[in-house]
Amino acid sequence: MERDVSNFSLLVLIVFVMVPFTISYFYQLGLKKDIMWSSIRGALQLFLIGLILTYLFNLRPIVGIPIMLSVMITIATFHARNKGKELPNVFITILTGLIVIEIFVLALWLGFDMVSFTPEEVIPMSGMVIGNSMVAMGLSLERMKSEFGTNQGKILAALSLGATPRQASHITVKRTLNAALIPNIDQLKTIGLVQLPGMMTGLILGGIEPIVAIKYQLVISISIFSSVSISAIIVSLVMYRFFFNQNMQLVDLEQLQK
Amino acid sequence: MSQTIFELKSVYKIVLQDISLKINHNERVMIFGPSGSGKSTLLHLFNRLEDPEQGEIMFRGEPIETYRIPELRKNIGLVLQQPYLFPDTVLDNLKYGPNLFEDWKEEEVQTLLNYVNLPIDYLDKDVDDLSGGEKQRVSLARTLANKPEILLLDEPTSALDDQNIESIEQDLLNLIQSKQLTVVMVTHNLEQAKRLGNKGVYLEGGRIVEQGSLPDMIDHPKTEALKRFTTNY
Ligand SMILES: Nc1ncnc2c1ncn2[C@@H]1O[C@H](COP(=O)(O)OP(=O)(O)O)[C@@H](O)[C@H]1O
Ligand SMILES: [Mg+2]
Repeated sequence: MERDVSNFSLLVLIVFVMVPFTISYFYQLGLKKDIMWSSIRGALQLFLIGLILTYLFNLRPIVGIPIMLSVMITIATFHARNKGKELPNVFITILTGLIVIEIFVLALWLGFDMVSFTPEEVIPMSGMVIGNSMVAMGLSLERMKSEFGTNQGKILAALSLGATPRQASHITVKRTLNAALIPNIDQLKTIGLVQLPGMMTGLILGGIEPIVAIKYQLVISISIFSSVSISAIIVSLVMYRFFFNQNMQLVDLEQLQK
Repeated sequence: MSQTIFELKSVYKIVLQDISLKINHNERVMIFGPSGSGKSTLLHLFNRLEDPEQGEIMFRGEPIETYRIPELRKNIGLVLQQPYLFPDTVLDNLKYGPNLFEDWKEEEVQTLLNYVNLPIDYLDKDVDDLSGGEKQRVSLARTLANKPEILLLDEPTSALDDQNIESIEQDLLNLIQSKQLTVVMVTHNLEQAKRLGNKGVYLEGGRIVEQGSLPDMIDHPKTEALKRFTTNY
């Protein structure tokens, strides 16, 4: 290794974590416990995963990669599912969605020889795709719940006039989809301009030619863009059903939580 | 012609307890009682916006579950207590129900507006610009646009002034007579119940405390509970 980040520098990063923590404290935003806990947990997880990865990277790719991907997808599913625990079938929908997305990007990468089937390439790239998809699904789910909350009356009115759940939630679904896709599209538009994307930064820091780094970044950016879009679409077009029962009635979310 | 439209057999739902009730063709049933007594819940059951936790609802002699839900709901029109309107214009709202069944006819718009006493130039108004009373009238017209045979009204004139109430009541009565509609209406206005209804149901604490013919039932209540309710009114 030519370069390393010193442990001291890592410690300095804590200062950055403290900034939102401090703001939150003064404005009583109530985020503080969450932020502290998330950063401590995040740091521990990273070190732990470093150890596990070293072991798994030494396995044969055909064994190691599926194991790692399964673990990643399972964890991501549990995480995204938390945003909509009270709804039925959320777990299985997210799990299926993430598996479909992962198969889709793998086929793309390997089929067109963009990425080689080694843990060093497949795992971090899949990690970015699964991670972004997980966040997108969680956000869409949250957004959808709040849209269903604010539009409950209109949805009831539509149902009472004879609309099917699909018709009654049309506006709600459209708004969820928009809300989920807009930041994603914005991000794609400014890529490389406003923020030097993570992968490229990593590769350049690691001493790779910028032009090669850009190519990899393009692959990953477009993969992430597609996966996030698919995630938002899955949540919006599939999960609206979970807000209704067999008899085209709106389920009582508060009731489900009990 | 006193064919039974609805029959509730010992229905339980949230606050509603042991509700047994028959509603016949062309009856105009007025439901009244203190707030929280379950009037809105009862009305939702007829439109299958909600189902009983226990008991059974028969519609035209068959369990209500045997009917296809969208058609059932179109045919049993419900006007919700709150006038939740869709974006964007009044016209969009009037078209909504008929469009679901692909039978919207532009020329019916005038009749619909007449029912609820709104001028034609309201069609293109944004619903966000309407007053509470106007919203309520659009909500009523929107349900009427579906041409229901049975009309469920949840305090449909609560936000209207006396003048509009009088005019809409008159139009409603004409409509009910000409189309032979069956009506179930929740009202907090006992005078209105006497003007519009021929049958009354008094709910308290989720139970039917008294039912009978109108206006007699309100003028000469039999139970202590209804006596109290009518005198405090
Ligand atoms: N989905 C629900 N879950 C729990 N309680 C409810 C629900 N809907 C209504 N209620 C309660 O049931 C009672 C009757 O409500 P409602 O039928 O609206 O009464 P009313 O129309 O006579 O004022 C109220 O106390 C209300 O809070
Ligand atoms: Mg009510």
